[in-house]
Amino acid sequence: MALAIDHFSRAYQATSGTFTAVDDLSFVVAAGEIVGLIGPNGAGKTTTLRSIAGILRPTSGVVRIDGHDIVADPIEAKRRLAFMPDEPHLFEYLTVAEHLRLVARLYGVDDFDRRAAALLDELELAGKERSLPGELSRGMRQKVVIACGLVREATTLLFDEPLTGLDPVGIRRMRNTIAARAQQGAAILLSSHLLHLVEEVCSRVIIMDRGRKIADGTFEELATRADLAAAGSSLEQIFFRVTGHGA
Amino acid sequence: MIAASLYIVVCSARNRLRLRLRRLREPRYLLGAIAGAAYLYFSFFARLRTARTGRRRGAAAAPIALASAMRAGAPGLVGLALLAVAALAWILPFESGLLAFSEAETQFLFPAPVTRRALLLYRMIRSQIGLLFGGAILGIAMPSASGYARLRAAVAMWLLLSAGKVYFTGVSLARTRLASRDARSRRAAWLPLAVLSAAAVIVGASLSRAFIPAPIASIADALDRIAAATSGGAARVALWPFVALARPIFAAGVREYLAGLAASSVVLAAAVAWVLQTDAALEDAAAAAAERRAADLASQASPYRASRTGLTLALFGRAEAVFAWKAATQTLRSVDRRNMVRIAAIVVALTAAATSAGRGASGVRAVAGTFALVTTAFLILMAPQVLRVDMREDLRHLEVLKTWPVRAPAVVRGELVWPGVVLTAAAWTSLVLAEILAGTSAFARVRLAWRLSGGAAIAIVTPALVFAQLTIHNAAALLFPAWVPLGRQRPRGLDAMGQRLIMLGATWLLLIVSVIPGALAGAIVWFALRVFVGAAALVPAALACASIVGVEVLVATEALGPAYERLDVTAVERAE
Repeated sequence: MALAIDHFSRAYQATSGTFTAVDDLSFVVAAGEIVGLIGPNGAGKTTTLRSIAGILRPTSGVVRIDGHDIVADPIEAKRRLAFMPDEPHLFEYLTVAEHLRLVARLYGVDDFDRRAAALLDELELAGKERSLPGELSRGMRQKVVIACGLVREATTLLFDEPLTGLDPVGIRRMRNTIAARAQQGAAILLSSHLLHLVEEVCSRVIIMDRGRKIADGTFEELATRADLAAAGSSLEQIFFRVTGHGA
Repeated sequence: MIAASLYIVVCSARNRLRLRLRRLREPRYLLGAIAGAAYLYFSFFARLRTARTGRRRGAAAAPIALASAMRAGAPGLVGLALLAVAALAWILPFESGLLAFSEAETQFLFPAPVTRRALLLYRMIRSQIGLLFGGAILGIAMPSASGYARLRAAVAMWLLLSAGKVYFTGVSLARTRLASRDARSRRAAWLPLAVLSAAAVIVGASLSRAFIPAPIASIADALDRIAAATSGGAARVALWPFVALARPIFAAGVREYLAGLAASSVVLAAAVAWVLQTDAALEDAAAAAAERRAADLASQASPYRASRTGLTLALFGRAEAVFAWKAATQTLRSVDRRNMVRIAAIVVALTAAATSAGRGASGVRAVAGTFALVTTAFLILMAPQVLRVDMREDLRHLEVLKTWPVRAPAVVRGELVWPGVVLTAAAWTSLVLAEILAGTSAFARVRLAWRLSGGAAIAIVTPALVFAQLTIHNAAALLFPAWVPLGRQRPRGLDAMGQRLIMLGATWLLLIVSVIPGALAGAIVWFALRVFVGAAALVPAALACASIVGVEVLVATEALGPAYERLDVTAVERAE
């Protein structure tokens, strides 16, 4: 499996005590699969993605990328991973082109110039190569982050709210890009509140609530589950039923 | 509106105080608060007690004697300075900050059914906490032995600062009115400028009459003439508002002080009345201030220009080079290179002039030489604390750095490379200047061989000391990230001040400890070789010392790797 999460938990130390953001989460994402990670605010989706990316250390459990443990073997695991966070976090003193070059150097990208040019075109960033992040709109900065993630051959892609700040054309292109990467064999984990996007591009969905996984399966599997059968066939109906937020 | 203003002021102050008290539950803030309080006590209050004890013992209270001696002429002199500042306010882009409404204030108060005067009054009331604090600090810092005198000075300073703040606001509003299409509004705005210009001309003419006829004999002579020129006739009248603001600070008795306060209050009231009657320009001026504020915020958010740096990152190579390239790009994009070239040209020209100057100018050479020496010492011992283009800056980007497939020790080493190289190069440059000018500085009597050997030894240990300090600062950032201000953040409060003091003390202590083995090795080499080669033994001694410190730095960067791996982004302190 390209991505395997095994009994993963993550707790934070707060002034009021210990807060468990994710509790005993396990799932896998196979190569070529697009899995949607959904849940209400505070469900633990972003904590999960940040832990898979190596930003947060798991309190317990194991995260493996192509068999490489993110804690025990971080270099090899990170080399195979691309994380596109919801908040575009860029170096304010590096241009768009320099960001791509920096990533290419860190990940050892072959044929960088051709790949970069193609990506800049694909993400409508051509002409912005010499711009600093401060000169770009939020949507453009988001595209730069995505370009940095896609410029290398990652086997596992993590998207956290990938459509935030994008215009309608950008949204359509992004959907196509995600689907194309999966067809090329990448394992994709996508977190979003846009349930129609998840329904459209994902082949499977994991629903989280209060740090725990409460549902995992294809839409057909969820729709035919005994306790959800009465909810309806759309992901939105299933989501509200399973999280108990629907009335 | 006054009640609403007071409500906002009280709530803001109370919430800020609550926040700071609440965070004292965390040991790091508590320790910081204790250290900060101790620093304040020993800096100001203990000094006050010592001075009192000295006075009881009959010791001469020099500051009081000085204040007494200056008391007669000081209000006039300060008044003159205030007149100059008041005049400059019309020429230079001074800002009082009173019109710089925050985003929340603009959103809540501008659409509210309140008058423009009420908004101005609100800002005046809002500024009082800062002004009172400023007055208190200046009062404490006054060279006086008694607490009562400090309190008096604090009140007087508060009135002076308040009047200044209001005056600068009036100037901002008047500037806006000067650009108005309404002729009547423009005429009204010209009036205070005309009055101020007249006052400046009258005082200037009086000073000219006092100074032009005969050359100045001494500083005392100059002071006497200024006092004579400003204490009578039309000049006295023209200077009155400015002298009135300064008089309570220097008043001797209670009666004189109270009279001074009354006059000072009249000036403040006049300034407030002037500003309130020009409130029609408030919206435009506030909009302009808001634009400037937005521009300031934008420039704070990104002080970088997309200029060519001439540095291209190779696609393959060591990871450390990536960090060095990144930091170099950051530095080159934040520094105005034309200004740097100008400064360098000035330094080179001054050094050349000082070096080639004859005997008559030896004082200039001595000053330049001493300055170069002090600069070298600063660059080696203090600048690593100031130049933060390393992990201290990159903690802000930890979320990105953590996803990179780079060995942790390489990250730590990479963060040190650029600031270490820059500081070493700057210190070497300054050291060369100091060596060139050493013949006239404090080391003039030192023999050339010793000066050259000493200079070479300093040059050798410079990178070791710089990198050792940078390693300590970066270690602190990795081990105690919550104690490190992020980027250009400057946390405020007694606890934050105490934290900075503790960090500074710990850094120096660690530096001393880390240099001891190298210093011992250097001393052994020195004692072994000095009989044979004399002063030149300093060079191998420095090499021995630098080598050991260098090895310590390399070992420390490896040892810090696990700390980087364990570092949790949630441990990094965000802005208050």
